[in-house]
Amino acid sequence: MTGEVTGMTTASIWALLAMAIAVTYLWRGLGTTIVAGLDPDSPVLQWVACVAYGLLAALISRIIFLPVGVLENTELVDRVGAAVFGFVMFFLFKKHIGVGTLSAAGAFGVLVWARSQGII
Amino acid sequence: MRQHVEDKEGPAISASENPYADNWALFRRGLLDGFSLPAFMVAASMIGYGALVHSAGLSLAFGVVSTLGIWGLPGQVALIEYMLLGAPLVSMLIGVSLANMRFLPMSMSLAPLFRGSKTGWRLRYLWVQFMSVNTWVGLLRRVPELSPDQRGPFYAGFSTICMIAGAGGVSAGYLMAEAMPFYVTVTLVFLNPIYFAFVFAAMRARAGLLAFAAGAVAGPPMYILTPEWSLPLAGIVAGSVGYFADRLLKARA
Repeated sequence: MTGEVTGMTTASIWALLAMAIAVTYLWRGLGTTIVAGLDPDSPVLQWVACVAYGLLAALISRIIFLPVGVLENTELVDRVGAAVFGFVMFFLFKKHIGVGTLSAAGAFGVLVWARSQGII
Repeated sequence: MRQHVEDKEGPAISASENPYADNWALFRRGLLDGFSLPAFMVAASMIGYGALVHSAGLSLAFGVVSTLGIWGLPGQVALIEYMLLGAPLVSMLIGVSLANMRFLPMSMSLAPLFRGSKTGWRLRYLWVQFMSVNTWVGLLRRVPELSPDQRGPFYAGFSTICMIAGAGGVSAGYLMAEAMPFYVTVTLVFLNPIYFAFVFAAMRARAGLLAFAAGAVAGPPMYILTPEWSLPLAGIVAGSVGYFADRLLKARA
């Protein structure tokens, strides 16, 4: 991502931020209001939790396969390769979150660095 | 010395033996829980965001307020990208809002956990503002061992350390932006989604795991079909697949 935000005054930037915070809170507040009468162990809420997991997975997978923003300037094979490597390490180390995360991020950093140096 | 705390709801518990003896101990327990991996991941991810805020020519104050106010990285990044594009106001707000739409099912899952606690339930509209994937999962993990009354202070402690880490991370990223090489910036941006992938992959509930796997498969093709609506659609489809597949497997077992 290059360039700077232009054509906006300081006041309009802050007003926009306030609106962005408000429209984000809308989901938080709405969800809280909807569930007021529901039992936490009810099937409906178990389904809703599954929807949250599915939505988050879709978001993560989209960021890895079809990123927008800075990650657009990296190679698909680096992102996927690093994620696969992380998962292999994750399962080798009995589902250790830290090992998986640091292996994947480390592999990704090395791959991007190696490309910038013309090594691969 | 045995110090007994009289409690109307339950039997007397020994303050020296029970780590959850009072609210302050619970708050500290939350702080400590968050101070392991979660806070470091928030800080590292927000370093990437701070660098993005800097490169967009926005102020550090904007970086910190947007982090704590929106408190959801995809929405924060979407806001800056829309500002750079100079998109019309309404499309900007819809974009930011949809990027953080996960907060709807998440708050529906989080808020009921405080039912049964007078103070916890009264503060539910505040708790959902602190909610991120990290704090939500952090509380869910401890739910079996915490009573409704104990969840509020624990969650407040966990959220506090995550928000301190977030504000610190965005500041550090903003100040170091010019010194950070490209491969460091993109690695930090990559860190956030990949960390959550492992957080959920380590989950024990089968329905959630199945939903997560289905969402990972459905995400990219749905995005190609309809970029704006891909997330809610993929969430509903994958969530239903996970939920009903789990029920079928249970019925067969």
